[in-house]
Amino acid sequence: MKDYRTLKLLDLFEKLFTFLKVDYKIMRRILQVKLTMDGRRVPTIFSQNTNKKNKEHSNQYIKSLWIYVLFGLFTIPFIVMGDHYLFQMSLFYGVITFFIMTSMISDFSSVLLDVRDRNILYPKPVDRRTINTAKLIHIVIYLSFLTIALVGIPLIVGLFTKGVIFFIVTIVNVILLNLLIVALTALIYLFVLRFFDGEKLKDIINYVQIGLSLAILVGYQLLVRSFQFLDLTIQFEPAWWHVFVFPIWFGANTDTLMNGNYHSLNLLLTGLSVVVPLLSIWIYMKFNPTFENHLQKLTFQGKAKEKRRSHFGQSLLSVLCRTQEERTFYRFASLMMKNERDFKLKVYPTLGFSVVIPFLFILNDFREGISGLKESNSYLAIYFSLIMIPTIIVLLKYSGKYKGAWIYTIVPFSQLKPVFSGTFKAFLMKLYLPVYLLLSLIFIILFGIRILPDLVVVFLVACNYSVICFMILKKHIPFSQSFDEYNQNNNGVLLLGLASIVAVFAGLHYLSTFYIYGIYIYLIVAVFALAILWKVAFNVKWEQIYN
Amino acid sequence: MGETIVAIQNLKKSYGSKSVLDGVSLQVKQGEIIGYIGPNGAGKSTTIKIMLGIESDYTGEVQIFGQDISIGTIDYKKRIGYVPEIADLYDNLTGFEYLTFIGELYGLTPQTADHKAKNLMELFGIGEVYHSRISSYSKGMRQKLLIISSLLHNPDLLFFDEPLNGLDANSVMIFKEILTQLAQQGKTIFYSSHIMDVVEKISSRIILLNDGKIAADGTFDELKLQNMEGSLEQIFNELTGFKEHQDIGAKFVSIVGEM
Repeated sequence: MKDYRTLKLLDLFEKLFTFLKVDYKIMRRILQVKLTMDGRRVPTIFSQNTNKKNKEHSNQYIKSLWIYVLFGLFTIPFIVMGDHYLFQMSLFYGVITFFIMTSMISDFSSVLLDVRDRNILYPKPVDRRTINTAKLIHIVIYLSFLTIALVGIPLIVGLFTKGVIFFIVTIVNVILLNLLIVALTALIYLFVLRFFDGEKLKDIINYVQIGLSLAILVGYQLLVRSFQFLDLTIQFEPAWWHVFVFPIWFGANTDTLMNGNYHSLNLLLTGLSVVVPLLSIWIYMKFNPTFENHLQKLTFQGKAKEKRRSHFGQSLLSVLCRTQEERTFYRFASLMMKNERDFKLKVYPTLGFSVVIPFLFILNDFREGISGLKESNSYLAIYFSLIMIPTIIVLLKYSGKYKGAWIYTIVPFSQLKPVFSGTFKAFLMKLYLPVYLLLSLIFIILFGIRILPDLVVVFLVACNYSVICFMILKKHIPFSQSFDEYNQNNNGVLLLGLASIVAVFAGLHYLSTFYIYGIYIYLIVAVFALAILWKVAFNVKWEQIYN
Repeated sequence: MGETIVAIQNLKKSYGSKSVLDGVSLQVKQGEIIGYIGPNGAGKSTTIKIMLGIESDYTGEVQIFGQDISIGTIDYKKRIGYVPEIADLYDNLTGFEYLTFIGELYGLTPQTADHKAKNLMELFGIGEVYHSRISSYSKGMRQKLLIISSLLHNPDLLFFDEPLNGLDANSVMIFKEILTQLAQQGKTIFYSSHIMDVVEKISSRIILLNDGKIAADGTFDELKLQNMEGSLEQIFNELTGFKEHQDIGAKFVSIVGEM
């Protein structure tokens, strides 16, 4: 096992830990094991055979930090643009809070909620204080990496533009902010675990992860454009409600110290910025035993309610799927899409993104006023939502529980057709349709009811396009591959090629608008094309399946 | 022989409103092999977890090696080995890494832990996976690893919760022999299982738990005398008041036959 540099750094504080009655040697050993395991976050049986010596010591988490460095860069303008600290630094801390908090929930949950510790370490002659300190230090190590990645460069910029005092104040603030976030996250978990069972908490974490991924995807696009919206003359005076928005506390203390605004509200906010983080971490320590007790809930499931299949759903299903087999796979695929957390984590952000992209492209039209939109052809931007379809179809073959796919090999069915057509219908109904309906609703509000036929065509085109993508892409049994492989094979070129097909469809649509009834002709063609494509696409033979 | 190792007085534990242990009292002497049996959910694992300090919030008194464990001392754990029923493992470590880690937690030097672990793995026939990740182990291999990890530090008191899970017949024979020899050396063993034949053969004393209470306590011969039944399995059925197995089995098969 590797001896980590982080641990050598920690050795400097050995005396302090011994003073706190922590068994330092044991704690160090626990941390060493934890760090080694973190370096292997993506364990598969396959990694056993291949000799990946260089992969062994590279921590995936550390590698992912560069994206936070990038987002850190975007906060630099908040620091340099003026000396209206209350406003600027509140924004700065707001952004920092967002990233640390979401990353805390998505990446550290596994540390905070590890129930194995309880069963493995508790029976050993190691006292609780040492185990809990090890857990805390483990979180602190990663939080430090993350925080340094995020605020490192902005801080140095601050040091040179705003001086040493600003630098020190900001460092202290960031540390306090981290304390507050750790305690807050733990207390939120405690609250959720108190009232719900572990599955609910895992769902909540899952949705935060999905939200974070989506926010990063969209933020990426928006941040670059957002600077033109920034209004430097904005008036931002302290107000009573700032008491409840904790990033503002830190903006306020910077304002107090740098600009010497010693009025009472500022002083109150400054006080809060110091007292509340320390208080919350104290409460966290106090409640830690309760927290550990509630963690048990993660292992057992609450009694679940029986879900009845609705009559409407059943009759809709019998219209959608003709054969019993197809219905079976439709139901199975729908459930996997709804319940499998790893799958959701990969697919839902992409879906969310396809809702957002069309608006990124009509953003400029917005500025010229809504009235212009009503007559324009800008609604064709809805086609941009289609370019995520190939990615999702590729993702259909993956699952976090891919090992369950062994059932395919023992189940006696001769044809693969129902497997694919059932799964595909589930994809269109459960994943694409909600996106489409949401977009259609917004577009009808923006462009008027006149675009209804166009929207119908868009849906038919989307179906056609999906089937075409399926035919071109390599075929795999749905939900049968590990996500680890997704990261390895990049078929970026193919996906780009498929995306360009969307341009052809959009072009045809644009052409059709030049003719009277053009759109209806397009509609009829699309219906027939779909009928034909659907017949031929899913006749897949076992020999065509890739493993 | 004769020193009291475990003494439990009126132990009660509940999860919320659900009572799991309802006044359990028992004493275990050095060198005994206790067969700790009972139906699913009777509270066997909970008792063991309380004794190991995994579960707290109980009422009653639990003394191990003459020490009350509720006062927060951890020294007694140095002399305890434990194989859990549901095995949580840091399975992205290799066998070598995991076992030396556990050994060090018990105060062994890394060299001793490594040496012992390696030899024990080889004796158990899984020496070749010592440096492989635990995630690649079969069920039987994992179980052997757990057994080894519970014995590395030569404990005086052993808790085995379904230790035979996934072991093949030959390994079971080895394991039984290990148990007998350990008991001869004066180790005390707390053995919990659903496989009645094994419990019947290896235990020097059997404690049956039902609904959070002790339903029977004594040697196998004593239990036989009290209940006039031939095998431990029958005694188990008798004492837990279960007679419907034929009926349920028949219904089960008839539903299987439905089309």
